[in-house]
Amino acid sequence: MRDVAVVGVGMHPWGKFADKSVTELCRDAVVAALADAGIGWRDVEAVAAASSRFSGGKGWGLNGNDVVEDLGSTGVPVYNMSAGCAAGANAFNVGYSLVAGGMHDVVMVVGGEKMPKGFIQTSGVEDVNDPEYLRQRCVGMPGPSFWALLARHRMAELGTTEETYAQVAVKAHRIGKHNEYARFRQEFTLEQVLESAMVSDPLRLYEICPVSDGAAAAVICSAEAARRLTSDPVWVAGSAVATARFDDGLPRGLAGIVPDGPAHHSEAAAAVAKALDQAGVEPTDLDLTELQDNTVYYELAFPEEWGLCKPGEADQLLHAGETMPTGRMPINPSGGFICFGEATTAQGVFQICELTWQLRGQAGERQVPGARVGLAQSLGLGGNGAAVVLKK
Amino acid sequence: MSGPRVPAVEGLFTDDDGVARLLGSRCATCGTPYFPASSLCHHPDCDDSATEDASFGPSGTVWSYSVQNYPPPAPAIYDEPYEPYALAVVDLDDGLRVVGRMEPGGSAPEVGGRVEVVVGPIRTDDDGTERTSWMFRTV
Repeated sequence: MRDVAVVGVGMHPWGKFADKSVTELCRDAVVAALADAGIGWRDVEAVAAASSRFSGGKGWGLNGNDVVEDLGSTGVPVYNMSAGCAAGANAFNVGYSLVAGGMHDVVMVVGGEKMPKGFIQTSGVEDVNDPEYLRQRCVGMPGPSFWALLARHRMAELGTTEETYAQVAVKAHRIGKHNEYARFRQEFTLEQVLESAMVSDPLRLYEICPVSDGAAAAVICSAEAARRLTSDPVWVAGSAVATARFDDGLPRGLAGIVPDGPAHHSEAAAAVAKALDQAGVEPTDLDLTELQDNTVYYELAFPEEWGLCKPGEADQLLHAGETMPTGRMPINPSGGFICFGEATTAQGVFQICELTWQLRGQAGERQVPGARVGLAQSLGLGGNGAAVVLKK
Repeated sequence: MSGPRVPAVEGLFTDDDGVARLLGSRCATCGTPYFPASSLCHHPDCDDSATEDASFGPSGTVWSYSVQNYPPPAPAIYDEPYEPYALAVVDLDDGLRVVGRMEPGGSAPEVGGRVEVVVGPIRTDDDGTERTSWMFRTV
């Protein structure tokens, strides 16, 4: 396997952009990443793109083909990756594998999304063989209620309070307001979060990420190409994908088996463990982590599930300020999904951009001092998990 | 006067003999429970694949609960005007972790509390037809 570097990143801001197509959002991100890398479009040898279910892609998730047609059809191979909300991270893993395996020297990874309003709908197919249809028709429990069930269980098991969940959102906005790409850039008080509408008890409106539009891109290349392009590359120390285990105990469908141990996102834990192992990095050695905080619950649960801290310890680390960029376990210095909203398939690439800026020391007010190694993690429908470790 | 009772989806549950049960299957080799029924065993450690019909419930313990404070999108069904309902994840004594609504009007669930499966309406149509599903009742 060859060493792989990230040499250029770019983003379109997150928000709602009614008068722009997803391909236009991607164009901004790709052009910014090319400029950051100091290369031109014709230098790109392959494209690994996230497939969107919601926008562009000719209805087939061919979003990478849209990007290539828009930037100029050079005839490069295009890999369109579908993995639910982990698609951006899966595309990164494919791009990484192509470079590491020697197939290509310079690959563009891109994810873009324009989301419809409101709760993410099910497939729309009324099929009694589809467990998701049965779950919605017979019970009625959209995405936020899944997160709420996990959050309530944690409260009973570890004593997390509603105020602590609210404090995660306060902390996210305290950092995210400094991020020019974030959709929500204002601070909230604890009272404001606690007074926001209860969506799915115990989770409130400001504690759940809404859907957004956005796009992100990254240029990755071989070590040889990186040395030509920059004196300050960021290295891909680990890149892994995984799927959920049968017996992890999360209430994903209608029913499963009662697990022997605690329920957890096995796809996320496996991808993170593989990426850390590949990088030769202990969880406690990480300088920063960008994790998928669809809800504030995850910012407490995930660091514990992956060994960044002990079970039940995340609450006190939060209250002590240790998850801020200047703390000893910085989580989501970008502001995370809470400040960005979720442009589903773009999220995994947005995390690469943030880690890259952090490791270069270009993150301004949200900079983690002296950051040398960072973790990015995302997961998606179907039990797809992905993780990346980047190093100076 | 209430009208006829029709399951929201046929074949998933019964309370014909007065006790509510979920209708699924169980692996004949490793015992893994399935709801809804699966004709094959999907446990990665099980080399065999034959399952047999099995029913589950009614007794279990609450793993977690929530309240659906906003109307869920289609294909969910509910009475209008919308009234929030409680949801629960329940570990049935026979080894199945299952999701469902709490029975409307019942006492609030607690994590670790005991419940039983019942069958009740999740929506009543204009003509009085009750669309039913499995739900949980605090005991």
